[in-house]
Amino acid sequence: MLSFVLRRLAVMAPTLVLVSMLVFSLQKLLPGDPVLAMAGEDRDPAVIAQLRERYGFNDPVPVQYLHWARQVAHGDLGMSLRTHQTVAALLAEKLPPTIELAILSLLVALVVGIPAGIASAVRKGTMTDHVANVVALSGLSIPHFWLGILLILLFSVTLRWLPAVGYVPFAGDPAGNLIAMIMPAVVVGGGLAAVLMRHTRSAMLGVLNSDYVRTARAKGLLFRAVILRHAFRNALFPIVTMSTLLFGELLGGAVLTEQVFTIPGFGKLMVDAVFNRDYAVVQGVVLCVAAAFLLLNLAADVVYMLINPRLRRPR
Amino acid sequence: MTAADVTLSQACGQAEDTVLAVEGLSIGFGSSPVDLVDDVSFRVGRGRTLAIVGESGCGKSITSLALMGLLPSPPARIAHRSARFLGRDPLTLGQRAFADLRGDRMAMIFQEPMTSLNPVFTVGQQIIEGVLRHKDVGWNEARARAVAMLARVRIAGAERRLGAYPHELSGGMRQRVMIAMALVNQPDLLIADEPTTALDVTIQAQILSLIEELQATTGTAVLLITHDLGVVAETAHDVIVMYAGRVVESGPVEALFSDPQHPYTIGLMGAMPSMGRREGRLLSIPGAVPPPSRFPAGCRFATRCPFADDRCHAQKPPMVEAGPGHAVRCWKAPLEEYLPS
Repeated sequence: MLSFVLRRLAVMAPTLVLVSMLVFSLQKLLPGDPVLAMAGEDRDPAVIAQLRERYGFNDPVPVQYLHWARQVAHGDLGMSLRTHQTVAALLAEKLPPTIELAILSLLVALVVGIPAGIASAVRKGTMTDHVANVVALSGLSIPHFWLGILLILLFSVTLRWLPAVGYVPFAGDPAGNLIAMIMPAVVVGGGLAAVLMRHTRSAMLGVLNSDYVRTARAKGLLFRAVILRHAFRNALFPIVTMSTLLFGELLGGAVLTEQVFTIPGFGKLMVDAVFNRDYAVVQGVVLCVAAAFLLLNLAADVVYMLINPRLRRPR
Repeated sequence: MTAADVTLSQACGQAEDTVLAVEGLSIGFGSSPVDLVDDVSFRVGRGRTLAIVGESGCGKSITSLALMGLLPSPPARIAHRSARFLGRDPLTLGQRAFADLRGDRMAMIFQEPMTSLNPVFTVGQQIIEGVLRHKDVGWNEARARAVAMLARVRIAGAERRLGAYPHELSGGMRQRVMIAMALVNQPDLLIADEPTTALDVTIQAQILSLIEELQATTGTAVLLITHDLGVVAETAHDVIVMYAGRVVESGPVEALFSDPQHPYTIGLMGAMPSMGRREGRLLSIPGAVPPPSRFPAGCRFATRCPFADDRCHAQKPPMVEAGPGHAVRCWKAPLEEYLPS
């Protein structure tokens, strides 16, 4: 197991290099010039030239990339062109809300999606199944930001139960933080619950027809043991995969939801950085998200090995 | 009930030794008017083996699943005149009560040992949970019983194999585990649905003799579902032959093999009627089993039977006696009279 993890970690480095190269080149293809924005109203050619020189924008792209890569190798992600904060500081500031929203949303999705998926598979073709499917389809189709606005109207404006906007750091006020995160987590998690429900349902349907579930019933095991112990354990594999992918996506930031609930997260940081051609920030965020994705996949593989004896080494 | 049913029960031993008796079992699906299993009756006595023989699709597996309460209903429609298992009618039991019987008093092994064990649990976990479900014993006692049972199905190093996962075992070993799992609570009835079909020929013989041997020591009644007449000849005491959902012939295995009466049985054996002429020989049965929607109105074998006449096509033949405990569902029985002389 340990050697497997180490090998996988070793493979991650070249992957990250490739991702960063790709994003670096793509950014340079984008029209627009950060220097023009920085130079201000009068756009003095001398100032522009000086800025270009200072940020190395006159060098060939590969040279610019190598320059950036050398910095990163030394642990320096560079500076934001706009705010002149270090990228590391920006990431440290925006990452916690994003991670928190991702975890809470995934929790909502798991708690709602998996039981709903199991129930609709077990009661396939009944009213329960139809209702679950319609709700899931709605969950998939309703735009997050719109649902967010509706929830704000209901719970904040009309009922005044929850704060409409405003992010409270967890460290300062845990209770206030969680209360503020309820609606965003429900909005994002609800959509994911729909995805998870569909996957759980189809995985369970496949497993429920299997011979070993019939064997479990032939043993006289009760319904709950058959479904939860024998069937669900085997339906877990696609669910783990799906949850991992969903969580990885969430780490990229939920742009619209963050906007609606004014959560200072990755999504907004990324969008702003792209619009401002804030190259270093874009690179930093992408690198961070890509690394998170790779680590998550590794974690998923480790979970696989734990829950699937066929992947373990024979003793 | 006909006279043949009575004689069949006599052949199966005394009434008090009957473990399972079923009368007039019919099974249909959904809104289809055709019964896939039609009016099937049989008895299995303690320590006896009853083989249900037929081609795939003849209804033998559906019958066994219905008896185990494993046929989802709806869509299945299960009707019967009477059924007796240890003094109760299992087919009228509620789900919970039926589950209490399953794995305890009646157990089942399946055709596919490769897929019938749950891949994510060890062999031990899967046997032990069956004990814990039905017996009021602690985990240690359940584990001890599992080890003892694995040893009885001749799995070497039973103690160690308890921790093995199904994928670490061969097909024959898995079927042994299935048998151990089925018999660990010493059931009165074992339903074996094609237990050797998926196995190598050499392993087949081992598994069959293992079942026979365990049966001899425990007195378990065995309902053996198979399409293989060789298996029947070797292990069964009594046979019922099914065709397209109906019993076409039933009786003690010797009688059936020495004097098969139904044209279908004769065809299955590739044999000739015992008193017929050589020209009357049936080496193979022409045609195929019709789909349920096109089952003939009368005898369901009529479309493939060389002896069929108008009455065969129009009216369902009754079971008639052909010898002691030997019954056949054919208008032309005894067939000798109809053979060209």
